[in-house]
Amino acid sequence: MTATGQIASLAHYPIKGLSGQSLSEVTLSPGQGFPFDRMFGFARAGSGFDPAAPAPMPKDRFLMLMRDERLAGLASHFDPVSLLLTLKVQGREVHRADLSTPGGCAATEAFFARMFDLPADKMPRFVHAAPHRFTDVSVVSTDLMNAVSLINLDSIAELETKTGASITPERFRANITFRGWPAFSELVLEGREITIGSARARVTLRTRRCAATEVNPVTARRDLPIPRLLHQHYGHSDMGIYAELITGAVIRPGDSVSFT
Amino acid sequence: MTLNLTLAARRDLTPDICEFTFTAATGALPPFEAGAHLTVQTPSGAWRSYSISNDDRETDRYVIAVKREDAGRGGSLSMHQALAVGDVIAARAPKNAFKLAPDASTLLIAGGIGITPMLAMLRRLVAQGVPVRVIYLTRSADLTAFRDILTSGPLAPYVTLHHDEGDRIKIFDFWPFFETPDDRQIYYCGPAPMMNAIYLRTIHWPRSQIHSESFAGVDSTDGTASPFRLQRASTGEVFGIPADKSVLDVLRDRGIAFASSCESGTCGTCKMRLVAGEPLHRDLVLNDTEKLSQFMPCVSRAAGEELTLEF
Repeated sequence: MTATGQIASLAHYPIKGLSGQSLSEVTLSPGQGFPFDRMFGFARAGSGFDPAAPAPMPKDRFLMLMRDERLAGLASHFDPVSLLLTLKVQGREVHRADLSTPGGCAATEAFFARMFDLPADKMPRFVHAAPHRFTDVSVVSTDLMNAVSLINLDSIAELETKTGASITPERFRANITFRGWPAFSELVLEGREITIGSARARVTLRTRRCAATEVNPVTARRDLPIPRLLHQHYGHSDMGIYAELITGAVIRPGDSVSFT
Repeated sequence: MTLNLTLAARRDLTPDICEFTFTAATGALPPFEAGAHLTVQTPSGAWRSYSISNDDRETDRYVIAVKREDAGRGGSLSMHQALAVGDVIAARAPKNAFKLAPDASTLLIAGGIGITPMLAMLRRLVAQGVPVRVIYLTRSADLTAFRDILTSGPLAPYVTLHHDEGDRIKIFDFWPFFETPDDRQIYYCGPAPMMNAIYLRTIHWPRSQIHSESFAGVDSTDGTASPFRLQRASTGEVFGIPADKSVLDVLRDRGIAFASSCESGTCGTCKMRLVAGEPLHRDLVLNDTEKLSQFMPCVSRAAGEELTLEF
């Protein structure tokens, strides 16, 4: 079987759990994930994360959507170079800080502590330790930590048809959203090569979905049990794949995504 | 406990909202707190819950206001059409799922019939001398229940009344009240669009200061979740599991660490040993045999009041 599809959108999530940021062009490098993707996070108190010796941690050690669905109601914008963060609620700015300064970090940690009722001894901490990434699959291997995530819009469309629900792809927080492959054909590609634009990549893992996908990105409430719906209709709870880059390329929406 | 209540008075507050005053048919009335609701058996036979609006220092009556829902399931319609002064109806003792925090500066927001619990709260807070502001949103002056007592008299200075006249342009701008979280407690009750708008506009506020009650029911969980006690088999420790939290949430909040992943009952990572009690399995992982001795704390609950697990 072969299939050729097109990239619909590209996004990275510089701060784990916060908003995705749409990208018009991405430079892919061998063995690397999207630039700055999940390279920053807010670690919960007692997470054990040490920026001097970064080790993968389970996702529940961080502020993230699975536990904190209200994060979806904050529209964040973060410049991963200047570390300037802005947070908006329904289009109105509620916080702005320069996370390159201790004061900016402290103010932002206090913002989240207040939002989530965390007492002074449970203050979250802004962390980063590039090239470490706080991806969910970082706990599996370093290679997977640096994989890119892909979502097939045709698979989502089929799940919508089967469930009668409207399912926005933003629930899945992928780096590369594409269309044009038969629904769920991406799930049988583990170990095989695909091309993304002119880059070659190897599919290494199906993405098993967690309760973070239950959160509606618009209403910031849990409204659809996505892992359970997948399980009921397909006997697994996978949607999307991870792929590791073998060669680099510059990719843009509209570029082809294919396997042979 | 079932109460028998006599309808002592009724009066129309607006073309579709009627106020009912109940007294005890026999004996004394159990006390209630501002924010409480009364569950009554309506003349249709269906049980319905309505917020109590009178001053909670009053011990001889419960006052509720009921909006007639012509397209509803029939409970409110039967209250409007079939309940006459002197009639006796069955009720359950008032319950409060919408409690005021003690002595806190308070913002009360009501949309339409959502004013009923707010009126009791306002009365209590004014009596206590606690700083309070009410924002009361209705479509028009003639559809505003309690307009008389909220626009003149001792409660009026605390009330901001706003009519949108059904015009989107005139929708109330909450933002000045929500922009900067401070120490206020915020309570809101109203129709779904208002509830959703306030939820999203207060998303940055701590939940300890945000309280709401929807018309859909006083139990805001999925309707099947009940609180229960969890016992840890090895130590005998007991944990209270509230209706809106999973076993996994509670144990994690208490700093008890164990592996979890999907948190939706599909992966099996957080599996625990079931020791005693009748479980309500909601996962999609365990087979029937496994369900006899295992439990998924991320989604499953107790069918009864207590469950014993080993973890």
